[in-house]
Amino acid sequence: MPKLTLQFEGIVLKEYPVGPGVTIGRLPDNKVVIDNPAVSGHHARVFVEGNSVILEDLQSTNGTFVYGRPVTRHVLHHGDEVLVGKHQLVFDVSGEPLAAPGPAIQGLGDTVYLDTKQHRALRAGIESARAEANRPAPSPRRAVTAPPASRRVGLLRVLSGRSEHAEYELEKHTALIGRSATAQVRLQGWFKPYVAVAIARSGDGYVATLLGGKTLVNGQPLTARYQLQDGDVLNVSGLSMQFRWKDGVAAESAA
Amino acid sequence: MQLRVGAGTDTGRVRRLNEDAYVSRAEQGLFVVCDGMGGAPAGEVASQMAIEAIIGQLDEHGHESASPASEAPAYLPHTERLANAVRRSNEFIYGQAQKNPRQAGMGTTIVGAWIREHIAGVAHVGDSRAYLWHDDRLEPLTRDHSLAEARIAAGLDEDDRSLPVEQLNALVRVLGREPDVDVDLKEVALQPGDYVLLCSDGLTRMVPETELAQAITQFQEPQRICDHLIAAANRNGGADNITVVVVKVTGSWWHRLLERWKRSARRGDDAEAYAAV
Repeated sequence: MPKLTLQFEGIVLKEYPVGPGVTIGRLPDNKVVIDNPAVSGHHARVFVEGNSVILEDLQSTNGTFVYGRPVTRHVLHHGDEVLVGKHQLVFDVSGEPLAAPGPAIQGLGDTVYLDTKQHRALRAGIESARAEANRPAPSPRRAVTAPPASRRVGLLRVLSGRSEHAEYELEKHTALIGRSATAQVRLQGWFKPYVAVAIARSGDGYVATLLGGKTLVNGQPLTARYQLQDGDVLNVSGLSMQFRWKDGVAAESAA
Repeated sequence: MQLRVGAGTDTGRVRRLNEDAYVSRAEQGLFVVCDGMGGAPAGEVASQMAIEAIIGQLDEHGHESASPASEAPAYLPHTERLANAVRRSNEFIYGQAQKNPRQAGMGTTIVGAWIREHIAGVAHVGDSRAYLWHDDRLEPLTRDHSLAEARIAAGLDEDDRSLPVEQLNALVRVLGREPDVDVDLKEVALQPGDYVLLCSDGLTRMVPETELAQAITQFQEPQRICDHLIAAANRNGGADNITVVVVKVTGSWWHRLLERWKRSARRGDDAEAYAAV
């Protein structure tokens, strides 16, 4: 049976079989209900006449378009794209799902997936909506829309105590300090904690979390979490280190 | 550091099948929740496949360096391994779906936490979530890969009504639907008293975050928190399958003793207050 597929911004909302008559409009008594102010109460109808399927505009306010041209009466062919308001109706006589089986949205609670193509189409929609709203893009909270901004890097400079290196760049997401093999800053000595402190990136900064043993930050015991500041001195079970921003950033903050 | 764990899954009150799947292995520190999609039997297959693929890969010890050494890894080794396991399970599910027409289009969300040496490596794809309870605050560790989140990230209003709710919940990333998948990663250092909560959207669509937080403070015991939250989701409609895994981080024996003492001291205060009324 021929069918109409209702789409919005590239997403398949629903499929409708074309029976003896299908009306399209904003009011609930239509077969295809499009709840959008750009759509007239009874906007258009699709019906079978002989061997043809006819699309007829019901003198709608904003018109019915096929491939961008306004129509009052149009014989539908396979693949025709009808525009009603901002919604698209695609006419299909193949009896098979159109292109990739789109997510037929059935109801609340159903998990629906947009494939990359649909997602791109939607993203384009979102981009244009944003342009319309004329708002600048917010800071990239997440790499959903923009690649992560180059973040400044901190480092730990060893002041005193036994360590493998004089300086540790905190490039990874989490740097561990301890006796563990996975620790970036390896503590040396039998009685040192296996994992003493984790230093994790958090937003634009670093947060130190105590995991074991005793750690002082600027002479005060570290108990829970602490947001590191440029120049902070950490004493982790006897290893004393200073937290600095790498390169010019530290100089800037010192100026 | 020790872990106490509670876990549970429920079909809910609307669905006939439970397409969620989870694994909770305290001794390994491995916890995963998957929410399958694609209808019976494909949805169940996808979520179960993902769980088994993750377990299988993280059980093998010889594959530590199987990851492509293209650049310096940004995360700790166990987080990288979890991420690779998730990517691999995507390939398995995708391959299976391509071969078997009855399972075409199946997919699953995933949220996994692997806790090693006090650090939870968290990997996620889709709208199953992870939360951290720390310092009496509930903090989301994941951000849904849904259209709604993509719109918020793009700077559009959260309460934009131009799209129906069903559409805003549409996922832009899942496992099994495309040959490759981007996996979001996060690492968080855990301290005694912290909780990690993993759940499918059957919980978060039915129960507000404030109630999640409340359940943790009220019940404290992971299994009781789980049971309470599943019951709450069903009470609020149970529109989808509900899966909850709660991991409580506890300290050494003396730390636990101290905590118990503090709690009993608090309870003593309450009792006094009660007696005074």
